[in-house]
Formats: sequence, structure tokens, C-alpha cells
Amino acid sequence: MKSTWRITALIAAVAASALAAVAGTASAAPAAGSQAAATTIRIWVDSVQKPAVDKIASAWGNTRGVDVDVVVKDFGKIRDDLKTARSDTAPDIIVGPHDWVGELAANGLLSPLSLRTAVKKQFPAYALDAFSYGTAVKRLYGAPFALENVGLIVNTRLAKVPTSFADFQRQALAFKKKKKGNIALAVPQGSGGDAYHMYPFFSGLGGYVFGKNRAGNFDVSDIGLANRRFLANAAIIDAWNKTGFINSKVDYGTAKDAFLKGKAAFWITGPWESSTLKQSKLRFKIVQVPANKYRSVPFLGVQGYMVTKFASDHAVLNLAKDLVANYMTSTSAQTALAGANGRFPANTVAGARVRDSVLLQFGKAGAGGVPMPNIPQMASVWAELGGAWVKSTKGSGATKARTAFTLAARNIANKIG
Amino acid sequence: MSTTVARPQPAEAPELSRGLTSRLISFFSGAVGLSFKLLFLSVVNALSIWAATLLARDGKWISVGGVLVATVAIDVVYLSPRRLVPLKFLVPGTVFLIAFSIIPITYNVNVAFTNWSTGHLGTKDEAIGKIQEATLSPPADGKSFLMAPARDADGELVLILVDEVTQTPYVGTRGGLTELPAGAVSFDEIGLIEQAEGYEVVRGPELIELDQALSAYVVPVEDGSGIRPEGLELALELKPTMRYDRATDSFVRIEGGKVFEDNGRGSFVAADGEELEPGWRTGVGFLNFRRIVQDEQIRAPFLRVFAWTFLFAVSTVLLSFSLGLFLAISLNKPGMRFLRSYRSLLILPYAVPAFLSLLVWRGLLNDEFGLINRLLPVDVPWLFDPTWAKVAVILVSLWLTVPYFFLVSLGSLQSIPNELVEAARVDGGGPWGIFRLITLPLLLVAVAPLLVASFAFNFNNFNNIFLLTGGGPPAEDQIYAGGTDILISYTWKLAFQQGKGQDFGLASAISIVIFFIVASISAISFWRSRSLEEMR
Repeated sequence: MKSTWRITALIAAVAASALAAVAGTASAAPAAGSQAAATTIRIWVDSVQKPAVDKIASAWGNTRGVDVDVVVKDFGKIRDDLKTARSDTAPDIIVGPHDWVGELAANGLLSPLSLRTAVKKQFPAYALDAFSYGTAVKRLYGAPFALENVGLIVNTRLAKVPTSFADFQRQALAFKKKKKGNIALAVPQGSGGDAYHMYPFFSGLGGYVFGKNRAGNFDVSDIGLANRRFLANAAIIDAWNKTGFINSKVDYGTAKDAFLKGKAAFWITGPWESSTLKQSKLRFKIVQVPANKYRSVPFLGVQGYMVTKFASDHAVLNLAKDLVANYMTSTSAQTALAGANGRFPANTVAGARVRDSVLLQFGKAGAGGVPMPNIPQMASVWAELGGAWVKSTKGSGATKARTAFTLAARNIANKIG
Repeated sequence: MSTTVARPQPAEAPELSRGLTSRLISFFSGAVGLSFKLLFLSVVNALSIWAATLLARDGKWISVGGVLVATVAIDVVYLSPRRLVPLKFLVPGTVFLIAFSIIPITYNVNVAFTNWSTGHLGTKDEAIGKIQEATLSPPADGKSFLMAPARDADGELVLILVDEVTQTPYVGTRGGLTELPAGAVSFDEIGLIEQAEGYEVVRGPELIELDQALSAYVVPVEDGSGIRPEGLELALELKPTMRYDRATDSFVRIEGGKVFEDNGRGSFVAADGEELEPGWRTGVGFLNFRRIVQDEQIRAPFLRVFAWTFLFAVSTVLLSFSLGLFLAISLNKPGMRFLRSYRSLLILPYAVPAFLSLLVWRGLLNDEFGLINRLLPVDVPWLFDPTWAKVAVILVSLWLTVPYFFLVSLGSLQSIPNELVEAARVDGGGPWGIFRLITLPLLLVAVAPLLVASFAFNFNNFNNIFLLTGGGPPAEDQIYAGGTDILISYTWKLAFQQGKGQDFGLASAISIVIFFIVASISAISFWRSRSLEEMR
């Protein structure tokens, strides 16, 4: 009898405390829910952009009477977390590079937006094109704010700014011969390859990644790694390998170290190294890689803000579009956002106001550049294109460039299916 | 004189510990213990009810049932006085096992039977909505307008529109576009619409509430186009280029009449193969498993990669164990000078995070600029040649694993009773004989499970391979598998470097295959090592 009472009392006590706890969480949930109903726009940014976005978004929020919640996330995780986000914690706006657009739009995670005609004119066409995607119909999915590209850094104490590609080659090889341990051209590759840094040399010989069809969309059946014009020039790569002009054993750390220590007079890198360059006390100039058989244009990276599909779930779609397409495209906002990253602003009016000499030189080095294709099929290209360069410039035992790039093109075609 | 050597125990220790333990037990018996038990049970119940409400909100009724049943079971177990005592000890471990092993594995198996990949993330309804939104296109002479939402005399929502090019003002309603007299609309200093005659422009907080209404608002104009708000100050003329036919569950391209039908695998596809994006996530049965077997690109290198994975795991474990045991025996001599320093130095590679060491080794092994080739008289293409890359990977894994086996062997050597060794020496055994017949078998009893575990770990040692070589120098013939790819890094490349982004379904399917391979090998090894137990 006593034990029955005891058990009943125990069960009652446990149930009562559980209910009390549940009542507490239940009351907390609707409170949190109603708080979310008060209009808030959630933005995912990386730590570099946060200060600029805080200012701009809160200024905009004040004019509209809307709260802005700026959440800092690891840059690489923004894309991955967006794919698995729950609606109630998902962002309305994200920051991202343009090559994410294809994958995110193909997954239905972005909302298309439009710019006013007057605003559209202030952006270079390729920057808006970089943020556009669509197999059937191409629509704009983001507002760009920053541009970046690699350039050729010349140590003006050790070499002169090359006037032509032949001059460039001659100077580099002469510098290599001067001392053991000198590197002719510090362009990073490594055993994994680096198609991004090698692109100026690829385009200079007539290479391209995907051709465009008449509608202006990427044609994934036209793979330019083995196009006729490039293959006609492929023997030049073998000559580079033989003379040691380009060596794929040089990886990012080795290249940077060599240039900063004076073991290389020429370095290929981008504006993310501007503070390193400025602090190095070297005298340098940044130019575009001299034209070879064709212009040696680099890949262009464009960064921008995109509106996600969760904005319409949260009933703030037009507000989010207003912030991104209207407010963040203004000249002052562009200067602030690009300045936070140390990059050239996408808005040409803001670009005209840039005074930093390193940024201006990088900007000029990107003239005529090609935005990296933003279609999801690019995932299969990087490894193959980088690998083809590694194989054909690895010194002794290198594959003939013609073979390596033809094989790479065939592999990409197989991967895309 | 007793020949059995009991471990010398300090005389005070048992007394103290017995006293402390019994004091703790008596403290927690009775009311105090009962209230602690009620507290923990209440917390568990509250957590499970909270979890059940979250799951119920998402409509996952099986999980709700499971959680509630488990909670009731836990309550019964802990509230039954003096019964079910073994269960009381087993429940916490079982809960964690289910939560962190069984549920993730079940989820993984579930995913392997879907087509979850880039372009197939959401539901079908979301996909249909997204396709309709993404295929709106400005017509050839489409106009764009400065816009301001406003209310007419009846309080209905209308759009005040000003053509950006011609500056003509209009009012747009759900019925159509009507031109307004010139000068009816006034602008503020930035150039935005401020006022319109006969209408009240919406401002402030009311504008925020209109967001959803604006998203759905369309002002029809001729030829199927409509003017839609884009943001709060812009409206564009957009025309749908695709029509969704609910009856046949397919999309029809308005121009040309191309039909895109549901292909049962999560996409709308036309007869000529053109696919609409996005698709949706759906079950596809054994499609992923069939791809592993049938797709030439996936199947061809499978055997080669599997053979190398097996070789890598076996050689890493055996070589590390041999070297670690050798070092342990050499340093097992009590009274040797600097013994502690030697042992600390040997454990260092284990103390440094493997992630860092691997990246540093990658730099050291660079064949033109790395330290190893600068010090050696020969010039070895460590990471660029497939064979040498394999050697490099095994050597670095050795460097990382030897300290572990050194520690384990050192510990196990202590547990071998000295008198056995002395007896063997008295019987005339040489050092190698003693090692082979006495030390090694007794050691293996304790260490065999660790060897099997280490084998399983190295079979799937993604870090060592990926950080050091990224899967190895690209092989001439293979698309995905490189010179040093093991099964798991090969899976990663298949899943995430495919033609179109990521394929989680395929990755899950391959990891299940790998699981069966590793599980069978481990099961066989455990079964065989049981014979060692019978030695004791």
C-alpha cells in the first residue's frame, strides 16, 4: 500500500514539474514568435563586412521603420548554411561572390530583383551579368558592390615594368639565372593547381572556359580548354616549362614568400594582399599581364548582396529588395561596402572617387577581364583546368600541354554529362 | 616468500576512500537523493515534451511517438523502486547511443534513397512557384516605372506609376493601367513620388504591412504582361514565359508550346532533355546504388581505390605498431638516463594537432622548395609522382601514428607479469624467443582491438590524404580518382566535384557501401582475434 502511494506521489511530482517546465518553454515560444512578427530583416555577412553593413542597414532601417538583424557568419559557411536553413532562422539577405549565384539560383534559394534604369547605368554590364542567371530566362539575382581581379606585381627595384610579353619573359628568365633559388615568375599553383591565378596566361593563348550562345548564356557544350586557337598555341606552354618560366611546384606560400624576400621580381596576386604589399616597403607597380597572342585578361570576381527566398516567407520581400537594389547601390553605400573589403567598388561613380593607388592599379589591371562563369557546372572545371596546368608545367616529366588540356576538356565534358 | 607480486598499496588509501564513498552514499540516500532524481527526471521530461512540440510542429509524427514512448519508458525505469536496477545503469548510455549513432545512421540511409543534390533541395510546390517566378521576363519593349503604393477614394490599394523614360504618370489597378493628367503627380527632392491627386500615397509603417500584398499585385497590360512591384519604389513590366498546367502537372512554354513533364525523379523535363530549374527533393529508390554499379566513371577506379585504401590502412597500422612496440621495448628499461625526455619527445607528434602537422608536412615535401629534398642527397618527386605520393602518405601517417602505438605498447608491457619472463629466461629462452612466445601474444590480447580500431580509422582517414595530397597527383586516365585517393576521399570528390555541384544522395549511398566494407573487415578481425583470448 505504502509503495503504491509512493509511486503515485513520485509520478505526480514528476508530471507536475515537467508541466511547469513545459509551460515555461511554451510561454517563451510565442513571445519569441511575436517578436519575430515585428518587422525585422536578417542579413548574413562575414566579419569583414559587418561594420559597414551595420551602419548602412541601420540608416536604411531608420528611414523605413524596420529593425535590421546583422548576423556574422563564416564566409564559406554562408552558402552551405543557406541550403539547410530553417525558415524561422534563415536570412533575408546574404553577401556572396558572384560565382555562388548559379548554384543558389538553381536550388531556388534566391529571389530575382531589378534595378532602376538610372541605377543600372552606373554599373558595368559585366558586373550585372555576373550576378544574372537562368537557363530559360536570365534574371538578375544580386546587386554587386565590389570587384576584384589578380594583377602582375612588378618589383621595380629588381625589374622594369614589361612592355611586351617577350620582354616579360626575357626579364623573368634573366632574373632566375642571376642566383640559385630565384624564381622567374611567382604564380601560385602547387600540387592541386590554381586555375584562377593562371587564367591570364590561359586567356593570353586563346583559352576560355565556356562559350556563350546567341542568347548570351553560357553554353556548357562549348568547352574552350581544347579550342582550336588555344591548341595551336599549346606548344608555347611546353617552351615555358622547358625554360622554367612557369613552375607548378610553386604554391601560394612559396610564391608570396619569394616575392616578399626578393627571390622573385614578378608575382601574380590580388587585392587581398594589398596590405601585405603596402607593409612590405618594397617598391612595386601593378599592371595587367602583357598581351601574348591575345590579351591576357584575368578572371573577375564580383561580390554583392542577394535576396533569399526566405524574404517572401517572412513577408519582407519588397523591403529586402528595397535595401539591396535601391539603398545598397547608392554611391556612398558602395564606397563604404567595398572599402570595408579593401576592394574596388562596382558602382562606376563610386569607382571614380577611389584614391588608393594600389586599388586603382588593380582596377586597371582588370580591364577587359572575364567574370568567372557562375553556373553550377564550374564545380567540375576548377580541378581539371588547374590539373592540366600542373601536369604541363611541372618541370621534368611534364605532359605535353596539348595532351593535358585536351584530356581536361574531355573530362569536364564527361563530368557535366 | 610469496611469489605472487601484489601491487603495493598505501595503507591509508583504502580507509579514506571507503569512508568518503560511504559518506556520499548515506548523504544521497533518502530525501536528498529522491529530490535529485525527481529533478533530473523533470528536466528529461520537460526536454522531451519540448522536443515533441517542435517535431509535432513540423509534422513528424513517428518521431513524436518515439520520443514520448522513450520518455515514458525512462520514467518507468527510474521510478520503479528496487526493480530494473541494471536498466537504471544502461539507460543513459543507450540514450546517447540512439541519439548520436543510430539516428544519424538512419538519417544517412534515408538520404541515400533520395535525390537530394544541387537543384533538388526543396518541395515540389516550392519548385513550381520558383520556376514561375524565375521565368518572368521583361518583354521586348517592356517599360519600367517609378512606383508608389497608394489608396484610392474607396481605400483600395492602387499603384501610382511614372514611366521612367517618358515621365508619364499612370495609376495602376488590378483592372489595368489608366493614364493620369500631366502634373497630377508631384515629386520630392530625391525624385521619388510624393503626392498624387485623388489618391493617398502610403507611407511609414503601413508600407511595411503591405509587403505581401505588393508581392502579389499585378497590373495587367496587353499581351499577357503585367506590371509588378519590385521593391518599394520600382515596378516593372514582366511577362510569364511558362504556364503551369495543374491538370497534367506539367509546364508549357508559352512561346512554342514545349511541354515539360514531371520525370518522377524530381525535375520538369522536356522530351529533348531540357530541364527546368529548380527541381525538388524526392525519393528515387535504388537509383544512387545503381549508379555506383552501372556508371562507368564511378565503377572503373573503384577496385583500384579500394585496393590502395586497404593497403594504406594495413601498412599504416602494422608499420606503426611494429615501430611503436620496438620503441616501447627499447625504452622500457627502468633506470635508463633521460628516459622521461625520450618518451616526451616521442609523444610530441601525437600532441600537435594532426591538421597543422599535415599542412606543414605538405610544405616540407614540396620537391623543389621543401626542406626534405634540400636535406636529402636525392631529388624525390614526393607529391607529384603517384608512387612516391603513396610512399609520402604512408610515411607521414607513420609519423603521426607511431606515438599512439608507443604509448599503448608501453602501457600493455607493464601488465605482463615479470615472473613469466623470468621463468622463460630460466628455461633458457633467448630474447627473440621470449618476445615471440610470451611478450607478443600477451600484448596482442590487449592491443588487438586497438589494432582493429586503428585499421578502421585509417581506412577512412580523410584528413591524412586530403590535407597532404588532396587525393594525390591527378591520374592520367581517371576523372575523379587521383593517385592517393582512398575510398572516402574518392566519395567526397564524386559527391562534391560532379558536373553540377553537390550530390548528397550519391555520397550517402557510397558511404553506406564503405560502411559495409569496413564493418565486414572489422567483424572478421574481431572474430579471429577472439582466439587470442583463449590463451590466458
